[in-house]
Amino acid sequence: MSVTDSTAKPASAPAGRRLTTARAIAEGIAQEMDRDPGVVVLGEDIGKYGGIFGATGGLLDRFGPQRVLDTPISETAFIGLGIGAAVEGMRPVVELMFADFFGVAMDQIYNHMAKIHFESGGNVRVPMVLMMAAGGGYSDAEQHSQCLWGTFAHLPGMKVVVPSSPADAKGLMISAIRDDNPVVYVFHKGVMGLPWMAKNPRSIGPVPEEPYETPIGQATVAREGTHATVVTLSLSVHHALDVAEQMSADHGVELEVIDLRSLVPLDRETILASVGKTGHLLVVDEDYQSFGVSGEIAAIVAETDPGLLRAPVRRVAVPDVPIPYSRSLEQAVLPVPDRIRAAARELVGA
Amino acid sequence: MDDKTRRELYRVMVLSRTYEEAILREYHADKKPAFDIGAGLVPGEMHLSAGQEPVAAGICAHLRSDDAVTATHRPHHLAIAHGVDLDKMTAEIFGRDGGLGHGRGGHMHLFDPAVHFSCSGIIAEGLPPALGQAFAFQRRGSDAVAVAVTGEGAANQGAFHESLNLAALWTLPVVFVVEDNDWAISVPRDASTAIASNAGRAAAYGIPGQRIEDNDVEAIYTAAGDAVTRARAGEGPTLLEVHTLRMWGHFEGDPQAYRPDLAEVPSRDPIPAYEARLTEAGVLDATAISAIREEASARVEKAIEFAKSSPIPAPETARDYVFA
Amino acid sequence: MLFPQLSEEDPTAEGVLATWFVSDGDQVTGGQLLGEVMVDKVSGEVVAPAAGHVRLLVAEEQTARQGDIIAHVD
Repeated sequence: MSVTDSTAKPASAPAGRRLTTARAIAEGIAQEMDRDPGVVVLGEDIGKYGGIFGATGGLLDRFGPQRVLDTPISETAFIGLGIGAAVEGMRPVVELMFADFFGVAMDQIYNHMAKIHFESGGNVRVPMVLMMAAGGGYSDAEQHSQCLWGTFAHLPGMKVVVPSSPADAKGLMISAIRDDNPVVYVFHKGVMGLPWMAKNPRSIGPVPEEPYETPIGQATVAREGTHATVVTLSLSVHHALDVAEQMSADHGVELEVIDLRSLVPLDRETILASVGKTGHLLVVDEDYQSFGVSGEIAAIVAETDPGLLRAPVRRVAVPDVPIPYSRSLEQAVLPVPDRIRAAARELVGA
Repeated sequence: MDDKTRRELYRVMVLSRTYEEAILREYHADKKPAFDIGAGLVPGEMHLSAGQEPVAAGICAHLRSDDAVTATHRPHHLAIAHGVDLDKMTAEIFGRDGGLGHGRGGHMHLFDPAVHFSCSGIIAEGLPPALGQAFAFQRRGSDAVAVAVTGEGAANQGAFHESLNLAALWTLPVVFVVEDNDWAISVPRDASTAIASNAGRAAAYGIPGQRIEDNDVEAIYTAAGDAVTRARAGEGPTLLEVHTLRMWGHFEGDPQAYRPDLAEVPSRDPIPAYEARLTEAGVLDATAISAIREEASARVEKAIEFAKSSPIPAPETARDYVFA
Repeated sequence: MLFPQLSEEDPTAEGVLATWFVSDGDQVTGGQLLGEVMVDKVSGEVVAPAAGHVRLLVAEEQTARQGDIIAHVD
């Protein structure tokens, strides 16, 4: 069991040592920058501003402009620059401000960053982290609210990690930086614990002070249960945990919540073990419903043993619609707790 | 320029042309009676560099093995001139396990880390990673440079402009080279580019720009020397545009029906022209020419033999090398 | 400990106690980050002046004025 397997305070942390996810990410990057002079940070507004979503706060003051570089609005150029620097043995952390902006630089990401290692028959490595903010819920509309992790997970050659908690955020960032492969690191704005955005209380949590790695490719059981398995990631983990507490109190239903933490590699074993135990599967994913994460999870169960399921798979995701601006509409398409609860109740017949 | 340098320029160009002629031969040998792009020992697209040798010879003469060269879908002349392992490069083109990429990349995706050589099949997208290599060299306190090669068609792609701006802004040790061979597949430069020469675009990014005419290997050599010196001295990037010559099709199998200048192409071949020039200057004679050609031929045929003897990658290894 | 002066033009501006990283009564060390506040668009940090037990006087998401006493360390 790793230090980040539960949301309880680990015994080793001094009382009160809690951080927001944003600060945890920045701390992880800072500790790796202390350890390895080859780690540099690049992106728009990541220097003086500390990152629009706080992921690089304090780094410029501590490490200076040679290692923390504000870039022009040139994603193709600076993501490509990260790739070339990684090829030459550096470990760049490059921030794409919003996942939604991948379109302007996708060739560098999926045709270069993700493929150079394979094309070179393993002779060239690209040890780079491409981090990005994702997710909606605060009316940023179609072009600034997407999750898109399914798109990155679909394309071979890059690892994809999506932390939900501050402790995992730090540990996964450290693991991502140390990994010799390109790692897409997606943080939901709603888990960052920002003072200027409504936040779930789980956006602040215990974070060990020392550097540590959270394993990439390993899901965690965020809550044990018996009646149904909820497989989810990112902010939806928090919503699922909230719903699970309510359903336990209101209906005596015990939901097991799996926090995927990584999409590539995907922890099939944990998913299958849980579904084998509960016989009921609900996938909650804030990315678009069709041709993505939720379908992949369902397919994994179906191709392993459909007999594991005692009811059809249910999925709660964004229903193949661009994310609308108006709050009433946005709240109707996001996988909000009400939708999760309704689906879970239907699934278990409560 | 001293005689030794001039002879070396000629030798590199002959080696490169000899290689391309051999690949041309091998590529088409088993695609008869009608061209089938996926058939034979060397399947897939093939983009050969006949006519563009002066660019490679003139520029790479100034480079060390710790300098980086990033090339395009038409990479062979640059790979040869920069000292890429010829045997492994050929095996890679033949898709063999002994190739630079164990057969995973093929002719458009040649990577030789020993000489920091890479290429990309996506137009203009090879430029941004070259910036990163330059950035890493600079951060390490090395005076190594990155030469980033692209085409005149690519100079209208966003990546080109972003790369020039960022390299200029951060004073990166990059030499940008535009090979203007008149044709972006079938589209001539005056149908793709709003201005007469990409060298003029350099001013928009605050960097020096120079256009070299007539595919002149010695003029290229001189201009490249200045650009590489500037970069090594920390003075930042330069844009060189060379008016060169694509002697054959965009890809092998391209009938070039769109091209009105085909008849005059042989007369513009840069190698006989340079050979004549050096002979007249007393730098080369028939014996020397013969020796250079024979040596090139022997080296190339040895590489082809190496490739043909290299094992075909086992299908069950198809998923190897996705992740380190 | 006072709500930080984030707005210089308006010394009595109101803001919000956005986040507490510690709970009432927790043991804290000098310099430890205790919380975050917001005044309009600007965020600021609340840092423990010394070691001791912290008493929180303002709840999370509660409004407070710059200069208000928001906590103290015994």
